[in-house]
Amino acid sequence: MSSNQDLIGIIQAKLSSGETASSCHEASLMQGWVRASRILALVEHENEWALFIFISSRMPPEVFTDLAIERVIPVDSDFKCEIDAGEQSGDVYVNISSRKLKLLFEMIPGIKTNNFVSEIMRSMEALMKLRGPPPEFQWLHKYSGSTSNRNSADCDPAPVDAADVDVTKGAKTVAEKMLDIDSPDIVVPRQSIAQGATPIAARESVIRYQMSMKEDDYTFTETLRVFIGTWNVNGLPPNASLSPWLASDMEPPDLYAVGFQELDLSKEAFLFNDTPREEEWRKAVIAGLHPAAKYRQVALVRLVGMMLILLVQEKHEKHVRNVAWETVGTGIMGKMGNKGGVGIRVEIHNTSICFVNSHLAAHVEEFERRNQDYHDICSRLSFSKFVPTKCIKDHDQVYWLGDLNYRITEMEPRIVRDLISHNSLSALLECDQLNRQRQHKNVFDGYREGPITFKPTYKYDPGTDDWDSSEKNRAPAWCDRILWRGDGMEQKEYRSHPILRTSDHKPVSALFESQIRVIDVVKYRKVHEEVMKKLDKLENEFLPQVTVDNTEIIFDIVRFLEPQSQELIIANTGQVPVDFEFIKKLDDSKYCKEWLNIDPAASSIKPGEKCDVKLELFVDKKSASKLNSGEDKLYDILVLHLDGGKDIFITVTGNYERSCFGSSLEALVHISVPVREIPIGKLVELENVREAPGGMEPYPIPKEIWFLVDHLYRHGLKKQNLFLLTGLHSELIAIRNWLDNGSSEPLPGSLYSIAEALLLLLESTAEPIVPFNLHSVCLGAATNYLQCKQIIMQLPEFRRNVFLYLCFFLQELLSHANENGLDAKTLATVFGAIFLRDPPRVSARGRVNPAVMDRKKASFVYHFLVNDLSDYVMSKSLHLSGTS
Amino acid sequence: MSVGPYNYSYIFKYIIIGDMGVGKSCLLHQFTEKKFMSDCPHTIGVEFGTRIIEVSGQKIKLQIWDTAGQERFRAVTRSYYRGAAGALMVYDITRRSTYNHLSSWLTDTRNLTNPSTVIFLIGNKCDLNAARDVTYEEAKQFADENGLMFVEASAKSGENVEEAFLETAKKIYQSIQDGRLDLNAAESGVQHKPSQSGGRNTLVNDQTASKDSCSC
Repeated sequence: MSSNQDLIGIIQAKLSSGETASSCHEASLMQGWVRASRILALVEHENEWALFIFISSRMPPEVFTDLAIERVIPVDSDFKCEIDAGEQSGDVYVNISSRKLKLLFEMIPGIKTNNFVSEIMRSMEALMKLRGPPPEFQWLHKYSGSTSNRNSADCDPAPVDAADVDVTKGAKTVAEKMLDIDSPDIVVPRQSIAQGATPIAARESVIRYQMSMKEDDYTFTETLRVFIGTWNVNGLPPNASLSPWLASDMEPPDLYAVGFQELDLSKEAFLFNDTPREEEWRKAVIAGLHPAAKYRQVALVRLVGMMLILLVQEKHEKHVRNVAWETVGTGIMGKMGNKGGVGIRVEIHNTSICFVNSHLAAHVEEFERRNQDYHDICSRLSFSKFVPTKCIKDHDQVYWLGDLNYRITEMEPRIVRDLISHNSLSALLECDQLNRQRQHKNVFDGYREGPITFKPTYKYDPGTDDWDSSEKNRAPAWCDRILWRGDGMEQKEYRSHPILRTSDHKPVSALFESQIRVIDVVKYRKVHEEVMKKLDKLENEFLPQVTVDNTEIIFDIVRFLEPQSQELIIANTGQVPVDFEFIKKLDDSKYCKEWLNIDPAASSIKPGEKCDVKLELFVDKKSASKLNSGEDKLYDILVLHLDGGKDIFITVTGNYERSCFGSSLEALVHISVPVREIPIGKLVELENVREAPGGMEPYPIPKEIWFLVDHLYRHGLKKQNLFLLTGLHSELIAIRNWLDNGSSEPLPGSLYSIAEALLLLLESTAEPIVPFNLHSVCLGAATNYLQCKQIIMQLPEFRRNVFLYLCFFLQELLSHANENGLDAKTLATVFGAIFLRDPPRVSARGRVNPAVMDRKKASFVYHFLVNDLSDYVMSKSLHLSGTS
Repeated sequence: MSVGPYNYSYIFKYIIIGDMGVGKSCLLHQFTEKKFMSDCPHTIGVEFGTRIIEVSGQKIKLQIWDTAGQERFRAVTRSYYRGAAGALMVYDITRRSTYNHLSSWLTDTRNLTNPSTVIFLIGNKCDLNAARDVTYEEAKQFADENGLMFVEASAKSGENVEEAFLETAKKIYQSIQDGRLDLNAAESGVQHKPSQSGGRNTLVNDQTASKDSCSC
């Protein structure tokens, strides 16, 4: 795993000099209907920031050549970053957008994600604080192949341009590339899925994203006539009807946003933000509205002398939602309300609109202060009732009006007036500070203003149409302006209303025909349903799918100690990587029976690939007795579970050939012929019927034990390391066959194999010679020979016989210790573990140190190896000398 | 703005049970894909399907487990009953034996699910009326006697398929509203977070009932 530092280093190697990757993070990009791994990096170059999106040929990347730049998004004024963190989803969704480009990233919640997102936020704040012309991102041009969105976002700085349409178109194609919803069949890049991309889940953020990409399909546009008015009233009360200003058009506007400045210049207004003028002017506005329609006031906001009032026609009222307003003072001390701005934001149908009324710093030479005020308003005016808060730029449409106070410079007032009187406005407009500052992109970047065809609106002698006659003899200026930003906005009128003479300013108004997106509820539902259905369908289509070559695994004849295996081929026939696992059935402790081994029992398979699973069937000393008694069968249903998907049942069957191994002592003593000659039913009966069946007189000990011991007695007493060295597997099989089938040949195999077969025979029984219920009693008595003796005397007859028979034999062995090198302690340890085999489930509470247990078992048996056993009452046939 | 992580408020787990060949998988397929599978192989295991539906304005995700009907798998399929909010018990109207086995399926369902589990009886293949072997009336009576919801449906024509799944969901939703189904009870298979593995654990209540993404 590479650390974040390593990753930054790799990314840094991919960048040019002067560019610094300051932060990076792994994320999943939602691409249409799948998500794919990406690496994001925030890159800085001379205080300009950009978000780089990399595709990596492996995750995590190891060298910079693993990375390819997919897209570069400049952190400019169009850049937005929103976070969606569902409380329970366990994932964080980050929306990155830049004009029409929308990208949705899924990130793993945690400190890394938090750090990365806050780095992005910091870069956005840095941009906000930036003064002067906005960054140009020259350094990104070399990445232009990856920045198709950049070109469209980079709109013409000219105040008026019609490039808007093209911008939309350009961005649209980018947007469409991201989403293939219109294609009849969902084209899902199988290749990328095979490489680990996964279909997107139906989550809220994803639905929202899908819906926003489909917006055109369920919205239509409606034209809204928007009247914007601004007037600096110089602290005076209304003294004439406002109709010539507000109702100058034939048709009534749908919406009014009317702004005032210097509503009240009194100290009271400034200090206490309280003025009777508010209501006077509000009433004047309402009285002056277009008579042909009824209006409702949506909001009114005022800061000292700046007031903005928003009204809509009654019929639109119900479509206006999420109204909010805020004020920002930029006046005295940089925060008082004598200068600054007030804003109202609303959503009308599906379009968000922000109106800003501002009064920027005064005085001819103070244009930089005005620029500063603009930037302050942009960064400080935020509607805090939304989470995250919405700023001016977060709106689809923005109208900015007010006394912006920009003047005409480098021109004598006399000449200015002269030019005006000759109607030569264009020369003057070239000297207009606002136009110049906007050309330098120092202010109102991204905004547009209609051509000015009206005379400057400042400064007049109040009550007249005469230019300022005071001593100051101010040059006329277009202080009062209306600008806008956003798509689908068309200015129809831009004019002043000189007939209103109340103030030293003339009121200005603009009429817009703006396209509002209206949701067609029926279509919305339909599209929503389509999206949901598609997600449903995807979810089902992208459920893991496999086929197995065989659901019935049949093992033919299975014999004790002979492993057999078969292969199961699991092929991933679905479209997504599959994690499979054999799972437990209800109440089972393991996913398969003890005689079966599955390898691998869990794994992953990529689409189109397969996995060979080996099923090995092996009946050993642990499982044999249950199969002999019929308690268990070679039959199991395995549940092959696909993570997040279905389960497949695999049936495993086999035919077990019963053996003396795994048979109980009680059954064996009743069988006089080789086990294989007994019908299965009879064997099962013998295993399960406890009292002696009639018929033959049972043997005192199983003949199989006798065969083995007798062989060892006759040939192996002098053999070194008997019972200590293991035999050969093939010989064990041969011995098993000899015992089970009977033979006139001598017993096959080496002495070691025969010794091991004897141990195995004793270990394969369901219960050891000393039954489980006496296990702890024996351990408790281990130090006391008399007690041990008593226990043995009380054992059921056949068990006692076998126990003593074997002890006699072991004593015989020990009597040849000189030759065979065996000692009583070693044999006691070996046979202790066999005679006193641990019960299958020793409870955790009573569990003693196993070494201590083993010592106790050994000392129990030891008594019987070193003491004289001749006083035991024994069946005479048991004497080793009495061979058949 | 609400940011519920899921676009649905609940997850209901369904199981489909009944004899082999009654059309359980076809019913599931018809419900999720709106298509009839004409040569549907026997289910060897448990198939899994999902669909989001709407009940009383609430988005509900159905996770449907379609079990193998073969008798030999009965012991294994019993593992899948636990935590089911709905059980669709299916018989074939053209094969009386599948109807006769219903009481044994019902016993399993009652024993292995919780009391609030909604059991819906479906008489499938009602398009084959000519070959009918079980009358509507007697099945209806059986359903009434045992408090089961009941329709005859056809996975082939799609008739009543949607209804059976939706009615079951409505009933479950009602139980939640009435408080009869305790979302917090462990044995009801309720958990508060859908498991990543596709929800082996059943009925999930997403606490933040998510709002429609677009307010209109």
